[in-house]
Amino acid sequence: MAQLFTRTASNAFRVLIVLTLFSVVGAGVLGYAWSRADATWNVGKPADQPVPFRHDLHAGSLGIDCRYCHSTVERAADAGMPSAQTCMTCHSQVWVGASVLEPVRSSFALGQPLTWTSVHRLPDFAYFNHAAHVTNGVACETCHGRVDQMTKTVKTQTLSMGWCLDCHRDPAPHLRPREAVFVMGYKPHGQDLPEDIQAFYREASRRLTSCNTCHR
Amino acid sequence: MASDVQALTSPVAEVPLSPRFGWAWWVALVISGVLVLLLGYTLMSVVLVGVGVWGVNIPFVWGFDLINYAWWIGIANGASLFAASLVLRQHDLRTAVNRFAEGVAFFAVICAGIFPIFHLGRPWLFYWVFPYPATFQVWPQFRSTLTWDFWAISTHAIVTSLLWYVGLIPDLATLRDRARRKTVKKIYGLFALGWRGSVYQWAYHQRAYRLVAILVLPLILIMQSTVAFEFAVTLVPDWHETRQPLHFVATGLAQGLSIVLLVAVMLRWGLRLERYIDDRDVDLLGKLVLASALVSGYLYIDEIASAFLADPITRQSTLTRMTGDYAGFYWAAIAYSVVIPQLFWLKVARQSVLAGVFVGFSIGVGVWLDRFSIIIGGLQTDYLPSIWRDYTPTIPEWGLFLGTVGLFAALVLLFIRFLPVVSMFETRHDEHLEKS
Repeated sequence: MAQLFTRTASNAFRVLIVLTLFSVVGAGVLGYAWSRADATWNVGKPADQPVPFRHDLHAGSLGIDCRYCHSTVERAADAGMPSAQTCMTCHSQVWVGASVLEPVRSSFALGQPLTWTSVHRLPDFAYFNHAAHVTNGVACETCHGRVDQMTKTVKTQTLSMGWCLDCHRDPAPHLRPREAVFVMGYKPHGQDLPEDIQAFYREASRRLTSCNTCHR
Repeated sequence: MASDVQALTSPVAEVPLSPRFGWAWWVALVISGVLVLLLGYTLMSVVLVGVGVWGVNIPFVWGFDLINYAWWIGIANGASLFAASLVLRQHDLRTAVNRFAEGVAFFAVICAGIFPIFHLGRPWLFYWVFPYPATFQVWPQFRSTLTWDFWAISTHAIVTSLLWYVGLIPDLATLRDRARRKTVKKIYGLFALGWRGSVYQWAYHQRAYRLVAILVLPLILIMQSTVAFEFAVTLVPDWHETRQPLHFVATGLAQGLSIVLLVAVMLRWGLRLERYIDDRDVDLLGKLVLASALVSGYLYIDEIASAFLADPITRQSTLTRMTGDYAGFYWAAIAYSVVIPQLFWLKVARQSVLAGVFVGFSIGVGVWLDRFSIIIGGLQTDYLPSIWRDYTPTIPEWGLFLGTVGLFAALVLLFIRFLPVVSMFETRHDEHLEKS
């Protein structure tokens, strides 16, 4: 009786078994890498904005404080986006005729809010409070990066839950003294936080990692 | 291989290779196919609408889904425990029943696995119960019964399918050699993995088969206990008992054996396999079913006795199961799974096809009623009187249950159509021993 399968077919079958095993492992590795890649989380990807606003110019060169535009950051969950009135405090005097500022002027004239596109959007099931972070020593820069150097505003961190937990599990090394919260490019010198505050935060990580701290 | 030995098992091999299979098989397949469609429909309704289509609500958060899960996993456990012990003991009965006992176990695992996944409410996120390195950096809650279900079912699926497939390999090779059409030869040949029947291969095969069978024994006991612990670890007074694993293992074994018996008598009658599943095999199986029913009976007595020895709240909740709104389920469970099998004290009944089907079916029904009584009746009087209410399954829940029965039947029908229902190589082996 002739052989049912040729030698080539048998060998191909063996190769296929090995390849299947490899591809299972490979799919796992690929999935691991993909789920952590910056592109997956839109890191470094600017969004379309109504006005080509430049943080590097306003916060960087001109040195305007973050809170000038994001005025509720110390008091509310939402940092707050500037209304046309805020822009017009300066732009009624400077760059008055610039065509790129047309949406700001019409927004001001019509009383319609500017529709900024959110770059750092958390899912609805995650509760985030800016005030709770900013008033407890988490700097703007820690999560938003060097905004003062950005021509177009982009995410510098994934904002994944694992990233949140990295800090919530041990906040002390990431915290700054109150006067350094709004500083960009801050370099900590030595132990900034007193030992008792560090000890407090080590204790607090238990409370900071319970589910209903962020999922309410 | 001598031709007379080959001729011995040829009727078994001819079954899957025959070009026609009769209208009865087609009718049965169409009926079960319709039920599988019903299963698909009810599952889609859960996915698209949500678990609100079920009648579950506080306190009955585990309604039909867990009843049926516990029931199917019981069949899987009983059947594979039985099959594995026969392999290890090299008992005569294995030639007759092992193949479909293993098959039944595997199909029951598939049916069981559907329920916990859809019971999650968001079934597409089922992989969250698996401890993989997620970007949210949180492990699954290992104290949660959901993760236990995951381990129980996946272990079960792997081990029972291995036991079944490893046992099939030499027989697939026989089918490959006996098939007349080239494509059929190739399909069986592919799954036979190049089996030549050399002494080396036999030695490896025996080792592998017994190794998997040994794996089954502790795993089945652990897995069935896991199902029981899912109830025992809760604070529900009627569930929070150490006797729970024993109850589930024993009644599960009776149930598994009864389904094996049911399939055995039906196959023997339907495919004329009296020579391979002989009178002695059926008789022995009947005795085993009787013995396991007696153990179930003992555990019911234990349940009543331990209720009277327990604290007042546990006593009250167990008594509610026996006398409350769902008392009918409790007593019917005892009647079906303990009293009716007593028929098998008579040799006539053990030998009869009709009695075999009747008893096999009745234990299956009885254990289902027992699971209903535990899961629904057990919650009747919880600690909070404000949540004492009744449970009524909705039509989608019934559809889901009937759908899994259809899926099971369809898998069994396809199995008997395309695979040898009796282990041919084991039959040849035993026949050899007898001759020499």
